[in-house]
Amino acid sequence: MKTKFIKRAAAAGLAATMVLSLGAIASAEADYDECTITVSWWGGEDRHTATQEAIAAFMEKYPGITVESTYAAWDGWEEKMATAFAGGTAQDVNQVNWNWITQYDADGTTFLDLNTVSDIVDLSQVGDSYLEMCQIAGTQAALPVAMTGRIFYWDKTSFDEVGIETPKTYADLLAAGEAFAAYDEDYYPLALGEYDRMILMVYYLESVYGTDWVIDGELQYTQEQIEEGLTFIQGLEDAHVIPSIQTIAGDGASSLDQNQKWIDGKYAGIFEWDSSASKFEKALAEGREFVVGDYFPDFGEYQGGYTKVSLAWAINGSTEHPKEAAMLLEYLMNDPDAAKILNSQRGIPVSASALAAADEAGLLDAKTVEANGKVLAWASNALDPLFEDSRLKSSDGVYYDVMAGLSYGDYDVSEAAEILIDGINDVIGG
Amino acid sequence: MAKKSGPAKMAAPKQKKSFGEICKKNIGFFFILPWLVGFCWFKLYPMASSLFYSFTDYNLFKGINVLGTLQNYIDVFTTKKIVRALGVTFRYSFITVPLKLAFALFIAYILNFKIKGVKFFRTAYYIPSILGGSVAIAVLWKAVFRDDGLLNTALGFFGINGPSWLSDPNWAIFVICLLRVWQFGSAMVIFLAALKGVSNDLYEAAAIDGAGKWRQFFTITVPLITPVIFYNLVTQLCQAFQEFNGPYIITQGGPRNSTTLVSLLIYNSAFRQYDMGMASAMAWVLFVILMVFTVIAFLSQKYWVFYSDDDGGK
Amino acid sequence: MQAESKSKHIISIILRYTVLILVGVVMVYPLLWMVGATFKSNAEIFSGIGLFTAHPTLDGYKAAMGNYGGDIGILRAMLNTFSYVIPKVVFTVISATITAYGFGRFNFKGKGILFAVLMSTLFLPQVVLNVPQFILFSKMGWVGSKLYLPIIVPTLFATDTYFVFMLIQFQRNVPKELDEAAKIDGCNAFQTLYKVIVPMLAPAITSCALFQFMWSTNDFMGPLLYVNTPAKYPMAIFVKLSMDADAGVSWNRILALSLISIIPSLVIFFLAQDQFVEGISDGGVKG
Repeated sequence: MKTKFIKRAAAAGLAATMVLSLGAIASAEADYDECTITVSWWGGEDRHTATQEAIAAFMEKYPGITVESTYAAWDGWEEKMATAFAGGTAQDVNQVNWNWITQYDADGTTFLDLNTVSDIVDLSQVGDSYLEMCQIAGTQAALPVAMTGRIFYWDKTSFDEVGIETPKTYADLLAAGEAFAAYDEDYYPLALGEYDRMILMVYYLESVYGTDWVIDGELQYTQEQIEEGLTFIQGLEDAHVIPSIQTIAGDGASSLDQNQKWIDGKYAGIFEWDSSASKFEKALAEGREFVVGDYFPDFGEYQGGYTKVSLAWAINGSTEHPKEAAMLLEYLMNDPDAAKILNSQRGIPVSASALAAADEAGLLDAKTVEANGKVLAWASNALDPLFEDSRLKSSDGVYYDVMAGLSYGDYDVSEAAEILIDGINDVIGG
Repeated sequence: MAKKSGPAKMAAPKQKKSFGEICKKNIGFFFILPWLVGFCWFKLYPMASSLFYSFTDYNLFKGINVLGTLQNYIDVFTTKKIVRALGVTFRYSFITVPLKLAFALFIAYILNFKIKGVKFFRTAYYIPSILGGSVAIAVLWKAVFRDDGLLNTALGFFGINGPSWLSDPNWAIFVICLLRVWQFGSAMVIFLAALKGVSNDLYEAAAIDGAGKWRQFFTITVPLITPVIFYNLVTQLCQAFQEFNGPYIITQGGPRNSTTLVSLLIYNSAFRQYDMGMASAMAWVLFVILMVFTVIAFLSQKYWVFYSDDDGGK
Repeated sequence: MQAESKSKHIISIILRYTVLILVGVVMVYPLLWMVGATFKSNAEIFSGIGLFTAHPTLDGYKAAMGNYGGDIGILRAMLNTFSYVIPKVVFTVISATITAYGFGRFNFKGKGILFAVLMSTLFLPQVVLNVPQFILFSKMGWVGSKLYLPIIVPTLFATDTYFVFMLIQFQRNVPKELDEAAKIDGCNAFQTLYKVIVPMLAPAITSCALFQFMWSTNDFMGPLLYVNTPAKYPMAIFVKLSMDADAGVSWNRILALSLISIIPSLVIFFLAQDQFVEGISDGGVKG
């Protein structure tokens, strides 16, 4: 901001020699062009209204810049954005998912390299390790808004009913499986879908071995180690800690938060992104207590697990107004006023200035802060962006096939490990 | 483009005529001109593009690196997942199309009588089609078929231990099929419109001959509306082979890919992996399959479809 | 004899109604459930197929009136929907009828090939056409058009093959003698179309209009791709606008909005059905 004032003064001086008062005032007003820029995001109503409010404040602060917003729910949004980028009509500033960076921007041209506007966007507000996660082909493709990781959450009411404490260790968890089975065959201390199982397995293996799952496009775990991980997962199912995949499918719910057994507390735990836990809390029947769990110290000797960028902002590489777009990005990311309006609408901000402003105003939800704090303090491994490649992650992808196949009994552990390794190598190897 | 015989048997071309007469002879062309313009303007380029993409490795964001390859098509027929999805799609279509047609025709016939409250019934029967793929359908359908759902509870009354409809790979496909058959509303409406064209005189004549309602149905009604049955057959085939919504909202293709229809894979390829080459190849395989079935259907017309505009009649 | 046939008649009526009502319940139930569910809490909505709730709430309807900072409210969304659906219906009916007339009643050079081309547009899933179509519209500068150009304009050119093919098939049950008679009366081809063919096709044309109305009202992806201004969003998008994948969804609100959004379709269907059903045979077609 400061540098801009200096530049503006210089420009004003130059202009003043040529034009008289009118021109001078105009350029003294600010160092940007009058223009219309566009911005897009997805989300729910609260995010829509908060963002619009922040944008209105931005337009007030910088008269002459008109911002047109496009927003909708997540449903169909990926198609819209992919099509818009392919068709060259995408907005100037866009809220993006982390995996879009590798998918949309492999050559670093789809999104503007934010280093080119670093005089406007204060990159130093975001930690280097987080910045790195949004770099590709030598460019800073996006700026992360928030980080997220998986953590256990418990329906404490269920554990009270069964008469045990919420698990603090792996041993507790196994004991809980037994206690729940004794209480009622339909009750389970934890419920994991296919992808949840995959992530928990990686957290487990990284806790045991300490190494990142994938480094430089190479899977770091051997067939035997992965078999060990799959045995761990299958062991949870056998120990009545988690229901089988078939049981969950038979429940007839589109997702766990819509599952009657979660709502009523028959499934008493989840392993979820801290950024999306609130929907599980909201889904619970009235009067049930939802608590943030702890990582288990006895999985292994390392603090295994990873965090990832939950959301980021990026500027369209073909924008006609990079400077003004960057101003908007800076405002939404780092401005204290904006932070107070946006608070945790996109998760707990990683921008130091935004976090400080929102925190000071006491706007952040305590439980979300607690979970996010635990995640960032614990998870020590890095995540390869291709971990979330849809060939692996989607419902017809490898993770689903392996985890469901194992649970249904179509594959034994060594077959499953083999399929998983082949599938992953197919994706990360090319 | 598809080569296929038109519906009308064309009259043998006559000898050369003057320009005016040629214009007059081809006046029909003038009527279809708007469509032709629209096709060239809005459809030709997208269709041609997708055909072109299917022979490339076109990724939406990485562009085209390999041209003129058959690799996508080879993959379609060698990837286990896709071959299986094709099989499921065939099964799905062959179960749903006849059932849906029969059901729609049967109900339309009943609702064509003058009975009290018929307007209400007609609207009621169309409701599932209006609801389409809405949340309400997804929630309810699963509530009926889940392990402790309505159906298994009902079966339990008769001492039957119902299967796991949604989680058993052998049963889930039927849940999806049933959903499609249940949404028979638009086929029914088309049949109703066709039945309106059947003159009452014919029924009266038949009644005098002593034919019962059901005999009238098969000897008078059905033959007279065969062109519309034919229409429903062809379009339902096209829609069934391209069905996406049902498995998408109910099973997401599971359990164990037993309800993964080709259209789900096309969608995932196109908008999850941005692999337009592969998506287009699968789409064009569907295209060829549907073309073959449609040609067969058109050729079969002469055995069972009766057109009253045919010269000489049938 | 008389009595026997009368009792037979009564039995047949009872049978008919039993079937109609039984099937009817299965068909209407989702709608009834939806009405009930709009008054339920999230937890109750997924609890099963019950219609009623012990603790009804109006939150869903209250939330449904939300207007996103004044950008778009339910009324605006409704009006937006109609502002492109009605032109679409009118254009489709006109263009499809003309095209079907051309294909169904005349012979001309290349008709076989052109008909094959027409049919072939039915065979390709829309998913793979979305991107090139979008590029096409984007080159014409129509993306984000506040007049809904990419959604409306193609219907001027009979691009919905389902309707063209349908009208062709219906037309084939209209005897050609009627055309001949009209010709003898001095009608030209156009006059024959609207004096003879159109009245005969009225039930089919009505169904086309109905379908186009309902399908266009429901269409979600088209408007999502081509409309960029929230103030111009139709109901199909508005219904889902509050669905937050991360923070959770108020399902009663979504269901309340879906319910409101299908009311026009229901009413129009109920009112229009006379057009394609009742009053059989008055001056009807002789088979």
